[in-house]
Amino acid sequence: MALLGADFRRDMEIHRYPLLVYGLVPLVSLVLQAWLPRLLGPYTWIDLPLVVTVYFALGRRSPIQGTLMGAAIGIFEDALSHHAIGVNGIAKTAVGFLAASVGIRIDVENFTIRVLLNFLLSLLSSAIFLFVYRVLLGLELEWNWLTQVFIAVGNSLVALVLFPVLDRFQIRD
Amino acid sequence: MESFFIRYRNLLVLLVILLAQIVGLAMQVRRGSSGRNTLDTHDSSGVRLIRLWAETLVAPPERAVHSAKLGILYVWNNYFYLQNVRRQNEDLEKTIDRLRLEQAALLEDARQGQRLQAMLGFQEKYIYSTIPAQAIGTSGSEQSHVFYIDKGEDAHLKPDMAVITGDGIVGKIRDVFPHTSQVLAINDQTSGAGVILETTRIRGILRGNADGQLMIVGILADERIQPGEVVLTAGGDLVFPRGLPVGVVDKVVRDPDRGAFIDVMVKPAAHLDRLDEVLVITSTQPRFSDQQQKDVATSEEVKGAEAEAIREQLKASQINAERLPGLTDPNAPQASQPGGTSQPAKPGQAPGTPTPATAPPAPKLLPTIHPDRFSPGTAPTPNTGSEPNAALPKAGASPSPQSAPKSEPPSQPQSDSQSQPERKP
Repeated sequence: MALLGADFRRDMEIHRYPLLVYGLVPLVSLVLQAWLPRLLGPYTWIDLPLVVTVYFALGRRSPIQGTLMGAAIGIFEDALSHHAIGVNGIAKTAVGFLAASVGIRIDVENFTIRVLLNFLLSLLSSAIFLFVYRVLLGLELEWNWLTQVFIAVGNSLVALVLFPVLDRFQIRD
Repeated sequence: MESFFIRYRNLLVLLVILLAQIVGLAMQVRRGSSGRNTLDTHDSSGVRLIRLWAETLVAPPERAVHSAKLGILYVWNNYFYLQNVRRQNEDLEKTIDRLRLEQAALLEDARQGQRLQAMLGFQEKYIYSTIPAQAIGTSGSEQSHVFYIDKGEDAHLKPDMAVITGDGIVGKIRDVFPHTSQVLAINDQTSGAGVILETTRIRGILRGNADGQLMIVGILADERIQPGEVVLTAGGDLVFPRGLPVGVVDKVVRDPDRGAFIDVMVKPAAHLDRLDEVLVITSTQPRFSDQQQKDVATSEEVKGAEAEAIREQLKASQINAERLPGLTDPNAPQASQPGGTSQPAKPGQAPGTPTPATAPPAPKLLPTIHPDRFSPGTAPTPNTGSEPNAALPKAGASPSPQSAPKSEPPSQPQSDSQSQPERKP
């Protein structure tokens, strides 16, 4: 992995998309995430909104945009669940910020790096979720880390397929 | 100063957004009386608004996806699948192909009919008012076992209404939106339902665990609980009516936190992961069909007529009894006193002997023309001293009219006893 200057990478490799993509892709990911458990049952070991957050944060390479997108998607997820609004929001806010910050420094076109990043950021998102729920809110929550590992693996595999598909929507000069 | 904000604008934005969410979270949590934090059961207006926005955005695509899925299944079952069958059976006669095509279509109709019949049968079995609904989406979160149904305020649904299927209970409505409702499944960690084991009659609270499995918590270790035992709703939670199937006991494990308690793992009766049609119980009041209501009205009418007839009969018998010559001695003292108190001592009866509160009237005895020793009233009284205990009632014997005959003048027995030796040869 080659470490490059932040400004250089920002100027050279900022991915731009049509405005519709910024709105539709997260929405489709949320709808699919809400619908897939009906198809796959308890084996829905993916978190599509997280993958989309990571993708746009890595592509835009803007921590502010990554933060805002992560917060919006996370709050949306919370609104669909019965949890307090903000639990997923905080987790995905942090993930969006970190992904964008990392994207400035490393080459995110590499498949191995994409897989590894998605795996690590998925686990980080789960850890932040657990921290907020148990420590910040002081609520009881049973937790199964094995399931979270499965979800992280699932996210990595989905990212392998989804990232190239979303790359096709880029605006190329 | 300006350069500080520009230089650290990324971190500042992150901190501001995180802080805003933390403050928002703090406003949604309350400390309970037991000292534990709990989420507000009812969302505030702001939180509800956010949920409404999210639901409004997601529900239409979910409905579209759900409809598309049904359409694809329909097309597959009715066209593509049958085309494949036809290709595999090219050598068969065209008549058979046509029959199979019709058979498949009928089979689909029959399945749908069976499913509807099962639901109708369930409605008839449990006579509650229910509304059928379709499950259209979920929360999409591993930690939140909720799903959405396509009925909301437009169908007069309200929070805390029970959601069931023909197999068993599913959950309860948590939030109601204009055209959809959010249902909290029974396998969620925050869910709770009162249940009872059918055979052992042990009660407990049903909830979900981290893996979305059902478990009954708060039960003391009991060897009688065996796998396979049926679990039913207890009816004490004011959500689920009593006696609805929940599932069967899968296994019993010891509570890791409390050694004296066990957790009973339950295999749900309803397919919680594959829900399509559900029923929302909108009323727990018994509902009768028109025929049943007619039967009840007829029964009440018949009962009323019978009661009136019995009353008329009693009245007639009382009138007849008044008209018939009485058997009671109008000169006899009142036979009983209210409350069954002791009567004054009568001749031939020990003083203080209790008499029944409702003693029947003593028969009127005609005067004896030729009294002998068998005539009533000729028994020696305690005053004579010949048979001291003869006139005393036996212990425990209930006083009867025969034991208290009408007293005769005391001179007669004496004269009779005196005349007795004269009759001897």
